[in-house]
Amino acid sequence: MVKIMKSANYFGWHPGPFPQINWAPYHKILTNRTVTVCLMILGVMVMLSFLAPLITPYDPNAIDLKSSLQSPSVDHPLGTDHLGRDVLSRLLYGAKTSFLISLSVVVFALSLGIILGGAAGYFGGLADEILSRVIDIFLSFPGIIFALALIGALGSSVLNLIIALGLVHWASYARLMRGQVLSVKNNDYVSSARVIGASDRRILIKHILPNALAPVIVLATLDMGHVILSAAALSFLGLGIPPSVPEWGSMLNAGKEFMRTAPYLTIFPGLALTITVVLFSLLGDGFREILDPESEVMGLGAA
Amino acid sequence: MALLEVSHLDVGFNTQLGSVQAVNDVSFQIKKGETLGLIGESGSGKSVIGMSLLRLLPMNACVKGEAFFEGKDLLTMKEKDLQKIRGERISFIPQNPTASLNPLLKNGLQVSEVFERKGHSKENSWKSALKVMERLMIRDPGLSAKKYPHQLSGGMRQRLVAGIALSLQPELVIADEPTKGLDSLTRGKTIEFFKHLEGDEDRAMLLITHDLDLAYEICDRLAVLYAGEIVEMGPAGELMDLPSHPYTRGLIKSLPKNGLIPLEGRSPSLLELPGGCYFGERCCHHKKECSCKHPQLKNSGAWQTRCHLN
Amino acid sequence: MFHYLLKRLAFMGLTILAVSGLTFFLMNIIPGGTAELILKHTVLELEEIPTSEQIAEISSQYNLHDPLYIQFGRWLADALHGDLGSSYILKKPVTYLLLLRLPATIYLALASMTIAIALGVPLGVICAVKENKFTDYLLRIVTLVGVSMPGFWLALLLILLFSVTLKLVPVAGYGGIKYLILPAIALSMHTMAVTLRMVRTGMLEVMNQPYIAFATSKGLPPRYIIIKHALKNALLPTLTVLGLSLGYMLGGAVVIETIFAWPGVGSLLVDAITARDIPLVQGCVLTIVGIFVTINLFVDLIYTYVDPRIRYG
Repeated sequence: MVKIMKSANYFGWHPGPFPQINWAPYHKILTNRTVTVCLMILGVMVMLSFLAPLITPYDPNAIDLKSSLQSPSVDHPLGTDHLGRDVLSRLLYGAKTSFLISLSVVVFALSLGIILGGAAGYFGGLADEILSRVIDIFLSFPGIIFALALIGALGSSVLNLIIALGLVHWASYARLMRGQVLSVKNNDYVSSARVIGASDRRILIKHILPNALAPVIVLATLDMGHVILSAAALSFLGLGIPPSVPEWGSMLNAGKEFMRTAPYLTIFPGLALTITVVLFSLLGDGFREILDPESEVMGLGAA
Repeated sequence: MALLEVSHLDVGFNTQLGSVQAVNDVSFQIKKGETLGLIGESGSGKSVIGMSLLRLLPMNACVKGEAFFEGKDLLTMKEKDLQKIRGERISFIPQNPTASLNPLLKNGLQVSEVFERKGHSKENSWKSALKVMERLMIRDPGLSAKKYPHQLSGGMRQRLVAGIALSLQPELVIADEPTKGLDSLTRGKTIEFFKHLEGDEDRAMLLITHDLDLAYEICDRLAVLYAGEIVEMGPAGELMDLPSHPYTRGLIKSLPKNGLIPLEGRSPSLLELPGGCYFGERCCHHKKECSCKHPQLKNSGAWQTRCHLN
Repeated sequence: MFHYLLKRLAFMGLTILAVSGLTFFLMNIIPGGTAELILKHTVLELEEIPTSEQIAEISSQYNLHDPLYIQFGRWLADALHGDLGSSYILKKPVTYLLLLRLPATIYLALASMTIAIALGVPLGVICAVKENKFTDYLLRIVTLVGVSMPGFWLALLLILLFSVTLKLVPVAGYGGIKYLILPAIALSMHTMAVTLRMVRTGMLEVMNQPYIAFATSKGLPPRYIIIKHALKNALLPTLTVLGLSLGYMLGGAVVIETIFAWPGVGSLLVDAITARDIPLVQGCVLTIVGIFVTINLFVDLIYTYVDPRIRYG
């Protein structure tokens, strides 16, 4: 009896220990200098934006028409806008808006991508055929146009902005997720799990998901900068975020009317936006360099 | 006077793993019309020597030493002067013809550009290119010239690359592993082609190969490389019949016609070369002296050996 | 080849159909809203609330009582005949409006593309040749900022510097070359930076290929090798990106066109969306997506011409 058990084991009937995710490349991320520095700066920015109510001396929405369009001074380090609101305060609150919106977009797109891509890869057959075509279609036209039309249809609000941008971004995650699931699915431990009679759901949750997820989540993190840019572009066009909510894109939109008298209204929000996206770009280059050393990237500190 | 005189050539590469010493203190001469064979296993540094002479190595290579060609040092001369020597006086037949032909340029252009550079008109260059291709036994040169490299057979690409290198009648040809990766039929044809070349009295050749039979048939003298240094050098016939270095003996024994007896062990890592004789660990005549003292190259007439045993 | 082309065209048709359908249903998601909207743009005064008779009249006039899929089918059938309906706000045929706006978009896209290629390719080559030297580092910083900077902010900065402060060019509008300069630069920056990046990477990769060593051994001059042997190979992967960029630009650089009041398809789309002018939105989306997928098909076909190894089966 013992002998039979052993031979069964030998031929791979036993599912074996649950395979661990290979964390080595992700561990390396934290030891890369560029990546660490970027993460630290971004961390500080996020902290500042969430602590904004404690730091800023002004309410970002306090209208004070007497002190409108003031140049930067000791009282208002970055000046005031046409309604007399403090630009620095609005900038800090705006960072929170940008971060939260982008995070929501990524989480929404990621959930959609993981579910649909995972389903396509796992079930295969007709489901895969249909979902893959849908993914292809979503990847083959300019997403911003679709986002615009969507917001036009649904009306402009923060929620609609998140839905629109999420629907634009999910397809690339879905495609990656599908590929990941396909490659993991064909691994020995999944087939052996099936042989011992594990249910589809159990296999999907316990065996495939943990292994397929890591790269998809990394890709999503890299996309943050891109998402921040598209969100800012839409609110710059006046679609998405109501003008009262402090946000960098809409601040630029409001500021451009006063370019002659108050150019700082145009400069500072754009600068904040650019710095944030530069940090995310550098972070992305660092990640890519670590995860795919073959690819030549242009991270500045890395070379 | 020798046509090419290489002395104390060192080549290192700076890599992420550290500095790799690929070639160590290599010296040799080639006379006019002579064919010298550089033989050794892959990784012995023989190809690096050939590429370093025309300064074709990547940027991370660090080349030291001298290589005098007609009294001028190839390794230190100005890029512009070297450019005049390349192709016209010294040419290079690369080891991988498929990767060495530009996939996006027509075969004919890759030949004719050599003539164009010399100031020939486009039309004449194309005609000369067709002549070169005809001499290479390429069927229907007019048609092949208008095709792209991937449309030729492996043997044709091999001959095309050789033909390009020889098109300006250089005095010295560096041939890097011309039979590497070829099937036996193509290899036979290539050997024939090189024999035919060798018949050209004025032309000297540096033949870099792991193919001992080819080397034996074509070369006047042979130099055996191991871990980046010459371990034995002498006249081809004698060296093959009466090798004195244990490594050369091992190489010859490993030939199919001699019973295919493989050499035990592996070459040392170029990142960390051992203190004594580099071949020491694999040598069946290993002595105490071999692991502590690095042997020097000893001369005896036309023959040189690097071994404590002789 | 023919089979491949057929498959691609079928997929293009499917994409356009799917996007048009999706936009159509989305735009009509608010029931009854359409009739109200048309009224607002036609007979009603500001703040006036439409009566139910007015809505019923408009609805029957525009066949808005039919189920959505029938309305879409009707729109599709007309679209196949080149009739994209009539704009609610501008009261002109959508096809006419699009044809009116397309030249400006094409003009701007081609100008931006020219700038992006004319700067991006040579600078990328210079970066690769001077790898890890000062020039390389400097250009890499420029590239990083160029990739990360929002185009609309660059546009505002350019206006601030060249129009408001130096008064060299007009702030916005459409006309001669002096109107074109700023929008073209603002639009080209991102593509230029991406092109520079890709050409640099491609060149560095290609310069280590054996055929470059062999070309050098032939005694060819370095400049000739870089242009004739290396650049062509290095540009191959860049072609896809350039095609995508051109697609985006021809699809109406929505934000840039709006900032500079450039009368292109992009600003038309924004106007249409803010007014919820459904036929106009439909027409713009159809045109933009159509141009985008067509350009991508062309890029793939160009590959068969540039790279003799590629043959689509």
